[in-house]
Amino acid sequence: MNLISPLANIHSKGQFGDYKDKNERELLKISELKNLLIIQIVQYKNSQVSLENISIDNLNFNNEPLKVTSNSDTRILWNGPKNWLLVSSKKDLINNLLNVCNESDFAVTDLSHSKAIIELEGKNTREVLKKGCPFNFNTLEKNNSINSTYNGIAFTIDMLDTNPEKVRLFTLRSFGESFYHSITDASLEFGFKTI
Amino acid sequence: MSQNYRLQNIGLINRDKKISFKFNGKNYFGYEGDTLASALLANGVHLVGRSFKYHRPRGFFGAGVDEPYAVVQLYRNGETEPNIKATEQELFEGLEAKSVNCWPSVNFDVGAINNFLNIFLPAGFYYKTFMWPKSFWYKVYEPFIRKAAGLGVASTEHDKERYEHKYEYCDLLIAGSGPSGLASAYTAAKNGARVILAEEKPRFGGSLLTSDVNIGNQSGKDWAESIISELKEMPNVTIKNRSQIFGYYDHNMLVMSEKVSDHLPQTKKFHPNKRLWYIRAKEVLISSGSIERPIVFGNNDTPGVMLSSAAKEYLKVYGVLVGKNPLVFTNNDSGYETAIEFKKNGIDPIVLDSRKNPSGEIIDEAINLGIKIKFSYVVVAAQGYKKVKSADIAGISEDKKQLGKIENIKCDCICVSGFWTPTIHLASQSGNKTKFNEEIDAFVPGKSKQKETTLGAANGIFSLQNTLKTSFKAANEISKKITKKENEISIPNVVEKKSSKHDKFWCVPLPKGKNYKRFLDFQNDVAVTDIELALREGYRSIEHVKRYTTLGMATDQGKTSNLNGLQLVSEIENKVVPAVGHTTFRPPYSPVSIGAIVGREIGKHSKPTRKSPMHSWHEKNNAVFVDAGVWLRPRYYKIGNETLFEASKREAKNVRTNVGVCDVTTLGKIDIKGPDSAEFLNRIYTNAWLKLPIGKARYGVMLREDGIVMDDGTTTRISENHYHMTTTTAQAANVLSHLEYYLQLVWPELNVNVVSTTEQWAGAAIAGPKSRALLQKLFPKDNVSNENLPFMGYMEADLFGTEARIFRISFSGELAYEVNVKSDSGNYMWEKIIELGQEFKIQPYGTEALSTLRIEMGHVAGSELDGRTIPYDNALDGLISKKKDFIGKRSLQRAAFVAADRQRIVGVVPLDKKTTIPEGSHLVKDSNAPLPNPKLGYISASCWSVEHDNPFSLAILKDGKNMIGKKLFVMSPLKNKIIPVEIVSSHYVDPKGERVRS
Amino acid sequence: MLHIKCPHCGLRSQNEFSYGGDASVKRPELNQEISDKDWDNFVYNRKSLRGKHWELWQHLSGCRQWIKVERDTATHEIFNTLKADEEIS
Repeated sequence: MNLISPLANIHSKGQFGDYKDKNERELLKISELKNLLIIQIVQYKNSQVSLENISIDNLNFNNEPLKVTSNSDTRILWNGPKNWLLVSSKKDLINNLLNVCNESDFAVTDLSHSKAIIELEGKNTREVLKKGCPFNFNTLEKNNSINSTYNGIAFTIDMLDTNPEKVRLFTLRSFGESFYHSITDASLEFGFKTI
Repeated sequence: MSQNYRLQNIGLINRDKKISFKFNGKNYFGYEGDTLASALLANGVHLVGRSFKYHRPRGFFGAGVDEPYAVVQLYRNGETEPNIKATEQELFEGLEAKSVNCWPSVNFDVGAINNFLNIFLPAGFYYKTFMWPKSFWYKVYEPFIRKAAGLGVASTEHDKERYEHKYEYCDLLIAGSGPSGLASAYTAAKNGARVILAEEKPRFGGSLLTSDVNIGNQSGKDWAESIISELKEMPNVTIKNRSQIFGYYDHNMLVMSEKVSDHLPQTKKFHPNKRLWYIRAKEVLISSGSIERPIVFGNNDTPGVMLSSAAKEYLKVYGVLVGKNPLVFTNNDSGYETAIEFKKNGIDPIVLDSRKNPSGEIIDEAINLGIKIKFSYVVVAAQGYKKVKSADIAGISEDKKQLGKIENIKCDCICVSGFWTPTIHLASQSGNKTKFNEEIDAFVPGKSKQKETTLGAANGIFSLQNTLKTSFKAANEISKKITKKENEISIPNVVEKKSSKHDKFWCVPLPKGKNYKRFLDFQNDVAVTDIELALREGYRSIEHVKRYTTLGMATDQGKTSNLNGLQLVSEIENKVVPAVGHTTFRPPYSPVSIGAIVGREIGKHSKPTRKSPMHSWHEKNNAVFVDAGVWLRPRYYKIGNETLFEASKREAKNVRTNVGVCDVTTLGKIDIKGPDSAEFLNRIYTNAWLKLPIGKARYGVMLREDGIVMDDGTTTRISENHYHMTTTTAQAANVLSHLEYYLQLVWPELNVNVVSTTEQWAGAAIAGPKSRALLQKLFPKDNVSNENLPFMGYMEADLFGTEARIFRISFSGELAYEVNVKSDSGNYMWEKIIELGQEFKIQPYGTEALSTLRIEMGHVAGSELDGRTIPYDNALDGLISKKKDFIGKRSLQRAAFVAADRQRIVGVVPLDKKTTIPEGSHLVKDSNAPLPNPKLGYISASCWSVEHDNPFSLAILKDGKNMIGKKLFVMSPLKNKIIPVEIVSSHYVDPKGERVRS
Repeated sequence: MLHIKCPHCGLRSQNEFSYGGDASVKRPELNQEISDKDWDNFVYNRKSLRGKHWELWQHLSGCRQWIKVERDTATHEIFNTLKADEEIS
């Protein structure tokens, strides 16, 4: 059976934009992330469960906007009040999740197939994001995540690292090609490499 | 050929880089650092264009953004752009430009006839002419006016340049890099603030580039350079030249247009030509300086009459003489600066000062240099048609009303200085209530509405000492509040000449027996007589005067004319200037390229597109797509040379006969979980939901609070507290927001989570008499018999190793199923359906066939649920629960909604069984009735019924339930059709609904 | 472009939000008798104020929360924002 990822039809390897005469290390790197477990976890209003008592893959759920709790496989993004997006390369985490976050206190919904994900890395990452997103990127730090819009398309940014900047950009799957075009178009000025 | 007016040893241009350019077909040379204007002046070219209305010869007036005359058609890299100010366009190798608004040439312009007809063309003449005979408007007047109107010519070619946008944030945004801007930027940056300094010109420094002052132990110009060098090294500072902040918007957002490559022969590939910055600043400092005000006199539009500060700028910055025999006409000290610069460079100017007895350092300096000065003297009129050749001058009485004997003196340019107008545009745009400053006879900013401060000349402070002091102080206070850090800075000592008072005088009276045209607005040809006419005709408010005369409405936006116009109006009306008021300042400060505003939203990507996981399969199989909102859906699959009609008929027929498959991924899916889910559904939908069994689906209708149907769909109970709701494609987003609204604001006590899963699942509808047989092949391990999976049933199944959901629901009215798999497997599912469906003669079908099937079945969709119909109108009143309350129920009691003859959905068939009925047509009783013909209803949807092989439509008809069998007429004035029809039941096919239950 | 302080996410640009009507309107309780007049007032009648007024916005491309915003309709100045479950005093 062939699984087709959201950006399979438009993402191909190469170097684009103003890349000539530039050291490859200077170029932005753009890739598609696939095969991740993406789960929405929402705690019901009358749930008495304390968040300190819950952990998935040794990570806690925190109530602070912007903050991401993470380890090398799993990242938990704040998505709203008592609302989180769990992103993990460990597919089998879903079973643990359903045990820890029980039905009467939490709504757990699989959204793994509903997102197109672009990973963008390089020193000009913030400049690319500034072109289409009205958020104040001077304040976004490592392990911060926000929801905003890019040229009108709703998306989520997860800042994995700084120096150099490395971000994961999530958008709805169906918008994938338009979003990919927007991001790569904004990267032309700096030169980029698709991997 | 040679630059006769270029001096050798003065200027900031780069004489090592010679640039060749063309103007009106003739070749010239200039240098790197020139503008088109300075290069033309260096070559002695003064005639640049013809005025808008009268086609009078026009030259250069200013040296920058305030320029009203020198608007040219620019040619660059195979493209052309109209209305570029020659005073702003930097010279580049190969630049070509042409004059506008003249034919056949700027030198000999046929349009000049207008000048002699000027008594017929006063202000507002077009409101009084071109009216008779009426027929002449379209054939004669309009084409003529169209040709005559405007200045440059817009290109009809596609714009090849890239334009980009950027959102940026800072602590302090500083507009202008003159002394106040530089002092502020420096102070704030040293306090650790994040600073953006924007300068519209290519060079930083503002007035410091041309004034004779000392700051500390440096010249003003050197001080500016050293500040800029230091700022460039600071990581918290961004300085941008060639960048103009043109608009001040809400909550301290300002927009800046950066000219990235207009000074280069072509734009670097992949790079933008202009970048628009949307900057949100905590605080804004406006150091936009001031613009010199002219004095109005006879023929003051003659080429060679220009602003005195412009003459000084051409000399000091570009090393260009605007004339070799200049006359300086001034009412204040500034004119003397220009005269002194001329004298220092070997030219002998004459100064006419309208003041009787001014005294001051600069006047003494001028006298000591031997410059000839006449006090209480004015220019009455410039003489010379295409260029100033001489001036009529005279002494003037102290009350400025009486002119002495007129003498004529030779001169080749007249440099005018009427004091200064602070540039208050940005402050005013921010909501600042400007106030009139009697000291300087101009408006300055008053009370701030947003977080902005105006400094320096823009605030009416013309002393450099005072400017630096107030700027250092203000920037320190403002920035340290933000950064909580302070770095002591010592304010340097300033050496400048103290100035004397200006004369409150801006308009030279006409001598007896002369009617020289005295111009206020130079680009739109608005003269003193036009203002007088407007006032005589009753246009009293300054907003009316502006629009009637077009004063200030040209591409220079009145920068050198608004205040003089205001002064004149107040004099005639015998009011004070502030009582007259000024017109509202609106963005942009100066014209902005539309391309820059559009940015990258062009062509295919001007709006986002949404594609289903099966999109490439559709493409490969000749699908013709249709826009469904931002989604692309297959409308039909084209075989050979089929038309839309033929293809959709074939597809629909095949569904009714065999089996078809349709991509329904786009329909909204909302995942609902929580202990109060059933209760919530019960409040949202009109029908009952508390007892829906697990594994069953139910059709639901939801209303707005006003009783109008909002959306319909089927919701399935997946497990005890887990539901799957579907919505229409169009309303998916609205329904989700609607559910969130009620859960968060109205019933927060309910424990329910809603989240969109539209994208998590790919969906295929398999419909037709053979659909069950195909389904069994798709799911060999599962029991999909009628008993095990009844109508409105749900089950989870295994599609060859991938998890699937099967809903037995039907939109087409045939036996049908909707299969969902996770999106990555969507294509696999689709290909399997096609592969295993071959034996059942499967064909994919698109939205057109989908429409046909549901229309002839009488199923309502968006065209009936159009925001005007209630459940009864759609024959859905059976779904209204009498036992419980729900959103919108109370509204259903409205008298109109319960009227006995209320409109209701019916079917419509043409009597001839051939004529198709246009959607949107009206239903009437008698097609011959006189207008207005009472409208009984409207056609909501039409199709070709494949079941009956004739046209069939659905309609919303008054008293619909009692109209079955009646004969009416359809009238479509748009398509010019009158069709006799019969009203039938809306369920044209399978009225008992047997097929879905088979 | 307004800069709105979402009580959950902080200051964000207007393009992340969608406007949602008058915040001072309270939906009547279900299953209660209500006069035609009172129901009409709820469904249709609104004061079109010039000046400060409370309105609803949904932070669509953010936390998806409905929030209440006190804004001056003439000058656009925003004075206050509240979460959905916070009362307007």
